[in-house]
Amino acid sequence: MSLPPHVARFTGGIHPMDGKGLSNGIPARTAPLLEKYLVPLHQNIGAPPKLTVTKGELVKKGQRIAEPGGFVSVPLHAPTSGTVGNLTEVPGVAGNTLQAVEILSDGKDEWGSGLDPIVPWQEADRKVLKQRVADGGIIGMGGAAFPAHVKLSPPPEKTIDTLIVNGAECEPYLTADHRLMLERTEAVLEGAAIAARILDVDRIFVGIEENKPDAVEAMKKAAGAFGIQIVPLPVRYPQGAEKQLIFAITGRAVATGGLPMDVGCVVQNAGTCAAIRDAVVEGHPLIERYTTVTGTPVVHPGTWIFRVGTPVKEALKLAGGVREQPAKLILGGPMMGFAQSSMDVTVTKNTSGILLLAGGETGRYLSSPCIRCGRCVSVCPMRLLPGPISVMVECENYALAEHNFVMDCMECGACTFVCPAKRPLVQHFRRAKAEINAIRRARKKH
Amino acid sequence: MSTTFLAAVCVVGIIGLILGCLIAFTAKKFDVEADPKVEKVRELLPGANCGGCGFAGCADLADAIVNRGINPSRCTAISAEALKDLSAFLGVAAEEKEKMTAVVFCGGSLSRAARKAQYNGIMDCRSANVAGGGGKACAYGCIGYGCCARACPFGAIEMRDGLAVVHPEVCRGCGKCVTVCPRNLIRLVPASVKIHVYCSSADKPAARRKVCSAACISCGKCIRADGQGRVEKQENGTVRINCENPPDISLAETAGCPTGALQTEEAHRAIRPISPKETQK
Amino acid sequence: MPSNEWLLITVGAILVNNVVLSRILGICPFLGVSKKLETALGMSGAVTFVLTISSFVTALLYKLLLSAEITICGTTVNLSFTKFLVFIVVIASLVQIIEILLRKFSPSLYRALGIYLPLITTNCAVLGAAELNAGANNGLGRGILESTVFGFATGLGFGLALLLFACLRERLELSMIPRPFRGTAIALVTAGILAMAFMGFGLLVK
Repeated sequence: MSLPPHVARFTGGIHPMDGKGLSNGIPARTAPLLEKYLVPLHQNIGAPPKLTVTKGELVKKGQRIAEPGGFVSVPLHAPTSGTVGNLTEVPGVAGNTLQAVEILSDGKDEWGSGLDPIVPWQEADRKVLKQRVADGGIIGMGGAAFPAHVKLSPPPEKTIDTLIVNGAECEPYLTADHRLMLERTEAVLEGAAIAARILDVDRIFVGIEENKPDAVEAMKKAAGAFGIQIVPLPVRYPQGAEKQLIFAITGRAVATGGLPMDVGCVVQNAGTCAAIRDAVVEGHPLIERYTTVTGTPVVHPGTWIFRVGTPVKEALKLAGGVREQPAKLILGGPMMGFAQSSMDVTVTKNTSGILLLAGGETGRYLSSPCIRCGRCVSVCPMRLLPGPISVMVECENYALAEHNFVMDCMECGACTFVCPAKRPLVQHFRRAKAEINAIRRARKKH
Repeated sequence: MSTTFLAAVCVVGIIGLILGCLIAFTAKKFDVEADPKVEKVRELLPGANCGGCGFAGCADLADAIVNRGINPSRCTAISAEALKDLSAFLGVAAEEKEKMTAVVFCGGSLSRAARKAQYNGIMDCRSANVAGGGGKACAYGCIGYGCCARACPFGAIEMRDGLAVVHPEVCRGCGKCVTVCPRNLIRLVPASVKIHVYCSSADKPAARRKVCSAACISCGKCIRADGQGRVEKQENGTVRINCENPPDISLAETAGCPTGALQTEEAHRAIRPISPKETQK
Repeated sequence: MPSNEWLLITVGAILVNNVVLSRILGICPFLGVSKKLETALGMSGAVTFVLTISSFVTALLYKLLLSAEITICGTTVNLSFTKFLVFIVVIASLVQIIEILLRKFSPSLYRALGIYLPLITTNCAVLGAAELNAGANNGLGRGILESTVFGFATGLGFGLALLLFACLRERLELSMIPRPFRGTAIALVTAGILAMAFMGFGLLVK
């Protein structure tokens, strides 16, 4: 009984180079078992999970090793069977340090998650399904890292009528979701159907950018059986951003400071849907994911299925190593990913890409004055004024920046991409948001 | 001529008189109770509006002093003589306040600190903090882009070789730099304490040495050389001088600190680059 | 009075011979109170009020008392030479009264204006308007009504200049001005450019 989606064009947006040709034609490979995995504890937005195993304890693959630290938190599971090693530290994505637990593999890779398959899920209690999503340690795998079960628990006053699966993958270079949708089509669709069952909605759309025609084809063929509608979307960055995706497919606009549930929608990444399916149908918690290892310095770019806790150094080795000294190592995509200062980072539940950029491919910020050309204004998908706001931040006038809706900025990077003065705009906004949050916290205290 | 003169005097005089009466009448009718005391106190305060007292500027503090019984020594930026005048005017005894100065507890200048990456972004510490923390490898140390120097209303902080250094003779102890430093490296200490351990790293000692040659490695030599508990190891592993009971500055020489983290304030201010450092990683 | 006479006086005072930007009078509050828009508007309100009333009172006094030929004890005296003294006394009193009223009814504006409120007394724009009214028409002065209208229009012109300048200065706050130009320097440069812009109105009124 789905109404046809009307594919609206969102404001702004840019067309960065695609870069997906390096890896989108290569089928995903499963990474071989490593001897040691360094699993960071705090991989999700919200409270960090609490470790429940001790050094020397024997664990099975998929066994729970940390329990949620609150409602907005998820448990952590062992990526393979073996022994628990030391509690150590690994660099986090944003330059911070994360506590990580070592799992030393015994080579047997035996499952032991303690979660039984829920079949047939179509008849299972919705609360049971939701609890399974929580027990599966599932978080938003498109990069947001928000616990999936919380997203699937909107407050009762918000009526949800649509589930949107995000298969847009609008970031350049990344092809993880593309390969996932091609190779695990039914898994993604079944996971979406399960999520829809939890939310009790029957309108399900999957948004896929048109630069993945084979994935669109494959998904369309299989979608009918699940009652899901595939919506091919025009290629524009950031089409895969939640609010832009909702607008394109349903024509509904989320108000400033609002959330998708305010317009009756819930958005889940394609990878998250596949993980939901695995947790429910197989009883397998989230311990591995599709990740693209790519970039011109990489010898054999491609998509891999890495276990959570795989050191990035190992990941690069699998991809054949580097042919030249890279200038940047980015976790995620080039637009919203984080440039790393250490090679000791590990693959986490929301690492969608490991990207190396060569020296000639990276730009440098000049931080010259804003020339008020307005290019940033024309590309901002949230209809903000990036140039003037960045000047307000430079003059430390955070009240005015807040008044100009800087808190709505989703840090997509479109403005920074087009700025002719090469100003680090997104950094200005991150600074503004940090200062505004600090002011709000201080105000609450008094 | 004299008639003109007389006429002029009379006319102008009468006009003046009428207007004077008008003003007097208006003043009486629309009088507002004002406290001249608050005005006078405000004049005696330094007028820097630095906020070091915790109030919203000198006018607010003046009001608080007169109407809410706040002691005038609450003002951190006031000079000793001005404080005496102010206390005399108010008829209160000025609290004996020890002069405080800010100290940046880090010795990681560009020559001593290792780099973790090339930072290319906004040259401001708080901004660098939201984007990976700048170019230096130590996660606890001075980022070195000068936001404390810019925040100081008195110009007491100088950036030397990528490290913030406070000049105690200029510092008024207002505390603005303390709030602004994103790594919380700056603390207010009594100005009479002239020896400090210039390191705030809470890393494991072996890790500290890897990222900075000026790091305190918690070897304990200074604690033992002092022997009187005037140098203390904190809970997070850092070593601090006890500011209430500080050791003599000669401890800097006798302790034999292996990295030079324990320094007199004078030696610390004489930071100069030791050798040119690589900028590429 | 033909209607276009009023229009001439008003347009002339506001645009063509703007008291701040063309006659370069009243620069003190122009530069001193134009940092924030609210204070600037408050100041222009106060100055317009003073200008209107002082123009009326001074014109009245001048017309009836000072410039008129008075015969006392057989000698005719002309007291127009006392005009500056009388004008200043009148203006000073008016400003004092306004200060008292403002303090009572709008203490925040009173505090925001600060020292610039009593400085309206020495504001050459007010004395200038009074003098212009007195001196026009070959020393016989304008009519009382025209003087009042002129005073009011001058106030509006002052307000316009102050409003424009305050908006410009607030905008300048959000620009990264080179170090040597920060503060008063760039404000004066802006004022100069604004004055040049107003020269464009020069031939509006012959």
